[in-house]
Amino acid sequence: MDYLRQVGALVWKDLVVELRTRERVAAMGAFTVLVGILFSFAIDPSVVQPQDIASGLIWMTVIFGGMLGLGRTFHLEEDDGAFQCVLLSPIPRDALFLGKVIANFILLTVVTALVFVVFALFFDLGFGDHPLALAAVVLLGVLGFVAVGTLFSAMSARTTMGETLLPILVFPLLIPVVIYGATATSSLLQGLPVSEVDGNIRMLAAFALVALASGAGLFRFVVEE
Amino acid sequence: MSNRLRSLGVVLGFLGVLLVLVLHWQVFYWVATERSMGVVQRIFYIHVPAAWVAFMAFGIVALCGAGYLWLKDDRLDQAALSAAEGGMLFTTIVLLTGPLWGKVAWGVWWEWELRLTLTLLLWFIYLGYFLVRKSTENPQKGKRFAAVLGIVGALDIPLIHISVKWFRSLHPEPVVMNPDGPTAPPDMLITLFTGVAAFTCLFFCFFLLRYGLERMRHALVLREAGRPGGPVANGVAS
Repeated sequence: MDYLRQVGALVWKDLVVELRTRERVAAMGAFTVLVGILFSFAIDPSVVQPQDIASGLIWMTVIFGGMLGLGRTFHLEEDDGAFQCVLLSPIPRDALFLGKVIANFILLTVVTALVFVVFALFFDLGFGDHPLALAAVVLLGVLGFVAVGTLFSAMSARTTMGETLLPILVFPLLIPVVIYGATATSSLLQGLPVSEVDGNIRMLAAFALVALASGAGLFRFVVEE
Repeated sequence: MSNRLRSLGVVLGFLGVLLVLVLHWQVFYWVATERSMGVVQRIFYIHVPAAWVAFMAFGIVALCGAGYLWLKDDRLDQAALSAAEGGMLFTTIVLLTGPLWGKVAWGVWWEWELRLTLTLLLWFIYLGYFLVRKSTENPQKGKRFAAVLGIVGALDIPLIHISVKWFRSLHPEPVVMNPDGPTAPPDMLITLFTGVAAFTCLFFCFFLLRYGLERMRHALVLREAGRPGGPVANGVAS
């Protein structure tokens, strides 16, 4: 019970900080809308229909936009040494990790919803016949992405290369999320039945679980001084 | 101890080179040509052993990394680093020989098939492994980061391996580790196992020599740190 309260306090702290600065959500939101605009100019509609490749574009936008925000997870606290104080508090490191992941997950879910709205507007996209299955695919995919991203964001923030290193470390590990997330989204947007994406949802859940468990276990070796 | 390891490494190196020569004789003169793929199939005897060694090396990286995080023993980190360097070499061999075969057999250099993707991904994980080690001010931190990356990478690989079965695959079915027993004829299997033995010997030769070098470097840093006025070994002394 204490554990949940600690995680809750950390999530609350991160969300309040984000609410006051609005730094990361604003950056990610602006980024995703602008990427939507760029994509609509980059795609030649006489060659390929944007609707056909929308699911891939959506996932790439979420991942690139997400990297922007995830890379700065520890930035604010790192700058004025506040993270040292968080580390000094008697909170287990895995609770700290889970708190960060949940806060990031909430932020990225907001951004992902924005991506879907923007792409629906720009590319005249419906959400298919199974919005619940689509939500499950997107939320599980984002959770796995955020869990991996948060762990390695803590790592890259402590290197001399900083955020440049983050995509190099994270992208290779994200391939299952991209494959299963994008194919499932594509099937659902085309209106295929949920049974088609059953396996994808299970794989995305497995990825999220592995990422969360390994991140929670290994986080203390990353933040240790 | 370190001398004995080095001698063992040299012996394995000679054995590996000898086996590579035998392998080439087998590949070019001895083994039968495969019926449907023709001569190009012979690259298989280089490609598959290299892939086995590449993945085995990654297993060593992950296990030694986990051991390092647990025991904080620098020797485990040095072993992980040595295995990673050998592993990257053999992953590169897999990625070079695969397209050569694919161009003839599939008609394209590259195919986004999951086993290929997995190997390419492995290569980039190795790349990240070396980058993250080099980019910390405190070397201890770099070693821990690298170990974490190795473990997460190793956990990710089974997920992708399962996905190989999920997706329709262009890649030839496994001919040795097949659930119904090996499907290849004996001369092909013998050639394949010569390749596996040769590359395994070479890998452990590189591994031991590299490990010995890393031990010597470590000893040197410790000696310099102990000398008055010498540079301070930044957290290297364990």
